[in-house]
Amino acid sequence: MKIDDADVPEPLDVPGGAPAPANGAAAAAVAEAGGDLAVGRPASLWHDAWHDLRRRWVFWWAAAVLALVAVMAAVPGLFTGIGKNENCDPNLTRLPPGGGHPFGTDLSGCDYFAHVVHGARPTLLIGVAVTLFAALIAVVFGMLAGYYGGLLDTLVARITDVFFGLPFVLGATVILVAFPGHGVGAMTLVLVLLGWTTMIRIMRAQVISVRGADYVQAARLLGASDARIMFRHILPNAIAPVIVVATLNVGNVISGEATLDFLGVGLQYPEVSWGLQLNQAQSYFVDHPHLLLFPAVFLSATVLSFLMLGDAVRDALDPKLR
Amino acid sequence: MWRYVLRRLLQAVPVFIGTTLLIYAMVFALPGDPIQALAGDKPIPESVAKTLRDRYNLDDPLLIQYGKYMLGLLQGDLGENYTGQKVSEMLAGRWPVTIQLAVTAWIFELLVGIVLGVWAGLRRGRLADTLVLGGTTLMIAVPVFVLGYTAQIVLGVQWQIFPTAGTDDGWPLSYLLPGMVLGSLGLSYVARLTRTSLAENLRADYVRTARAKGLSKARVVGRHTLRNSLIPVVTYLGVDFGALMGGAIVTEGIFNLPGIGQQVFQSIQLKEGPVVVGAVTVLVLIFLLVNLIVDLLYGVLDPRIRYE
Amino acid sequence: MTILRGARRSAAALTALALAASVGVTACGGGGGGSGDGTFTVGHSEPDHLVPGNTTSSYSFDVLSGLFENLMGLSKDGKPVPLAAESVKSDDQKVWTVKIRAGQKFHNGEPVTAASFADAWSNAAYGPNAYEANDYFSHIKGYDELNPEDEKAKPKTDKLSGLKVVDDTTLEVTLNEPFNQFPQLLTYPAFAPMPKAAYKDLKAYEDAPIGNGPYRISGKWERNKQIKLVPFSGYTGTRKPKNKGVVWKSYASADTIYTDLRAGRVDVQQTIPAAKVPEAKRLLGDRFLPRKMGTIDYLGFPMWDKRFASADLRRAFSMAIDRNGINKAVYNGDYIVADSLLPAIIAGHRPNTCGQACTYNPAEAKRLFDKAGGFKGTLELYFSNAQPTYAQWMTIVANSLKQNLGIADIQFRTVPAADYFGMLSRREEKGPYRQNWEADYPSAQNYLQNMWGSEGNKMGWETAKENKEFDALIAKGNAARDEQEAIKFYNQAEDLAIREMPQIPLWTWAGQGGRSDKVDNVTITPYAGGLLVHEVTVK
Repeated sequence: MKIDDADVPEPLDVPGGAPAPANGAAAAAVAEAGGDLAVGRPASLWHDAWHDLRRRWVFWWAAAVLALVAVMAAVPGLFTGIGKNENCDPNLTRLPPGGGHPFGTDLSGCDYFAHVVHGARPTLLIGVAVTLFAALIAVVFGMLAGYYGGLLDTLVARITDVFFGLPFVLGATVILVAFPGHGVGAMTLVLVLLGWTTMIRIMRAQVISVRGADYVQAARLLGASDARIMFRHILPNAIAPVIVVATLNVGNVISGEATLDFLGVGLQYPEVSWGLQLNQAQSYFVDHPHLLLFPAVFLSATVLSFLMLGDAVRDALDPKLR
Repeated sequence: MWRYVLRRLLQAVPVFIGTTLLIYAMVFALPGDPIQALAGDKPIPESVAKTLRDRYNLDDPLLIQYGKYMLGLLQGDLGENYTGQKVSEMLAGRWPVTIQLAVTAWIFELLVGIVLGVWAGLRRGRLADTLVLGGTTLMIAVPVFVLGYTAQIVLGVQWQIFPTAGTDDGWPLSYLLPGMVLGSLGLSYVARLTRTSLAENLRADYVRTARAKGLSKARVVGRHTLRNSLIPVVTYLGVDFGALMGGAIVTEGIFNLPGIGQQVFQSIQLKEGPVVVGAVTVLVLIFLLVNLIVDLLYGVLDPRIRYE
Repeated sequence: MTILRGARRSAAALTALALAASVGVTACGGGGGGSGDGTFTVGHSEPDHLVPGNTTSSYSFDVLSGLFENLMGLSKDGKPVPLAAESVKSDDQKVWTVKIRAGQKFHNGEPVTAASFADAWSNAAYGPNAYEANDYFSHIKGYDELNPEDEKAKPKTDKLSGLKVVDDTTLEVTLNEPFNQFPQLLTYPAFAPMPKAAYKDLKAYEDAPIGNGPYRISGKWERNKQIKLVPFSGYTGTRKPKNKGVVWKSYASADTIYTDLRAGRVDVQQTIPAAKVPEAKRLLGDRFLPRKMGTIDYLGFPMWDKRFASADLRRAFSMAIDRNGINKAVYNGDYIVADSLLPAIIAGHRPNTCGQACTYNPAEAKRLFDKAGGFKGTLELYFSNAQPTYAQWMTIVANSLKQNLGIADIQFRTVPAADYFGMLSRREEKGPYRQNWEADYPSAQNYLQNMWGSEGNKMGWETAKENKEFDALIAKGNAARDEQEAIKFYNQAEDLAIREMPQIPLWTWAGQGGRSDKVDNVTITPYAGGLLVHEVTVK
């Protein structure tokens, strides 16, 4: 099922021009692109990419926004002296921006600016943590499946299909509704559980295309162990597309998390998050638009920055489109 | 070709069983008492609850329950919910809404997406290109519920161009705004795919050859490049149609459209297992089928691909 | 969330059912909006069942109150008045003699007799039928035989032994204990009669119920769409319809009903969603219909947990909560903050019974809290996800407890509506929880006995000696000869429960309905029957 929209990771447009669809086709295309660019000059790829990135304003813009959000997440005290869920007075509910409250107050009469600042931490933490764990699963199992093939590969492929076919929001809702306490940890777990499929497909296809390469054969003939081949020779040459997709994925995870919060099955008190704020805003947005505006702007800017960063990294790693 | 289809169908069987079993296990094995849900805020006497649990096999082991369910399914029976309503009937009333919404969103992303993509692709690196790229990235970044509510307030309530909610104005009027909101994400992907693919094809040798032969640019683009460039786009559109058919929880919610997504979401909250599993089973079937069709279509459109 | 907002309806007891109502509101717009034929349309959630004993859903009651006529009904001020009965009398409050008004008929022409009631009640009380309202018959003698402890055992009989059909118009009811609120209990929709024709095929009966009420069903129950009722020409009672019929139209969300009310596609909405109320007041003017309600919210404590053992601590919690602030923030100031365990519409409510203990006073709260030894560990707050407002007011409660009492670690536990009461009855909650009561019938006894009696909701108080006293006072009230004396005992019981405070009263709900300009004389009562359909006039 479509989650509407804050969808499971789906590469914006996959290098090589193929879409992200169904089976093999896209992943194979990605692999092809990755393979091409790796051959010949593996050592300088990353250097070149960085050189390229430095010249893009999009990259710097995204990096600046993300740095700001990261600082908000790490040390909210720099921006506001008010702690989470502190200094609230329900008699001051839903005040418009102004006076002592630059962003107004929320439904509970809490200072909205302070709470929007505090909302950065869980949002960012979940986005990054989920992507890291999902990428780790994808890289490890994608590598093993792609390298060894056979039964293991079939098994991994079918399990991936099963999870891929599972509608994201529904799957997450079913799990979260059943457990009364969902904090950052539980949310991360659920999002990882449902979010590794795209990356593993790409990784697996990459590995399959790289494992036949001359330098791998050479290493094997020289008597390198499987582990060494996988780690030293295949990984560096297969991982570029995964990194691109992972960067884009952070934005998608953040969107997905906000959607779950919005639906009322995600984070809950005492956590403060932009998704939760939007959830509360929905009943009141006509009379109190500021409740919708501020978290929406912060959330969108963050997701946008991750997407732009991902785009920039992809362009940098994909010489074909340069 | 037929061997390929057969192989794909055979592969789909374990995936289908796996997915339905997974969702079945998630719905039924997790804590929560669907019988209690019937009574709402008041407790139900234990003896009553017990009888109802027996009636719906709720105390059987998971695999037995699943087996019974699958047996029913093979006979075309999706089961009934805990107030005795047939799941197939409950869903039947909802499909028209979901289909109308999906079709609206799909047409929107197809038309606008391809037009924008071609526009940007032909003017690569120029203002139009930047605008389309920036605009689509923004659309992907803004969460759909923010987009939905904003569209509802501005276009529906304040400017009153569209009906705000509900299905009373019928298709297409009631579905235009939700369709556009729902289709916005797909539109972004379609536009970007078209752009990239077109730009790449324009650099291909055959285009150079055609131009060298003296063909006009319009003819080259119209006759040769566009067709080839649209192959990945068509693939995406196919898969996305399958996804759209799954209903859209958020969009349906915001615009009060009683479709599949809303039904399933409500049923999860109520632990109405039969409804959730029934709907998801149908969805998975559609998903697998659409994937197969798209893969076959891919072969038809791109002569380089042959299915053995 | 919009979908969940569909749950915000009049009946506190049935919020989950609002979720359940799966609705095809699809373009079936016709029929609504008083289309000139003297009928009108009311929007609500889809009912779950239409066999009277098999539902506790207020959306079913909406329809049943037109289709059926109970022995007793309620006047507008909540007093029991005879409907199908001529009289309901008892000397000892235990054996009741019911005289049925002669000459009444079901919609199929069958006469309404004492057996019509006795059979329907036995059918509802029979355990293996698993009817939802089964429990309401437990006052009647013989209930235990129909509901054996051992759930696998089949009861030896399927008739309530306490029901004796003396003749066609006389029914003698023997109760387990003296119970002077029995006439009130008879107003509950589950106590409706059913014709013999019903038992042949109850499933078919449910599609087109045959009742004895002022309206009969026109056609069949169009599931998830609508139920149309038209006046029954053979009706002889006091609720003669002043209109030509009513259509109960099913919706998934109260927001949509409200939208349709504004558009004139619906004539009456009984409960407008709280978030839309400010706008509705503006737009509807005198067509906005506020009313008092009897639904009251409480914050309960797990009394078996030693951390909550001190009554001072519980009072401290109560005094740390700014009820007026919450009312303003979440409910537009329309709810009535609680000053007693009973809502104001119930006979026996005394203003300001709770006094200081229910008044916001952070300083005193902190003093009591410290005196009780404070609170250590994580404070977990439990509520269900049935309505978004629960999380909203719990957030403010949590902030207040943190700020005023200094409890640092507070966590939410949002439980699916499906499992909430199951969880409470299994005593799995480890902290304060949301609890509420909506009257089955307007009587202090209905609140007190169900909420704080040892047989009622098991919150861990039933083992305390104070609870024994409480039970004894309620029993005295139940056996009292007249209403005044009964209320005296009920009030003593209430004082005891306030002193011990196993649950903090929070606020009484307010009902906010609306009507279109095509209908008039719209009265929505705070009782199970809700809207007085027969009184509505159509322009």
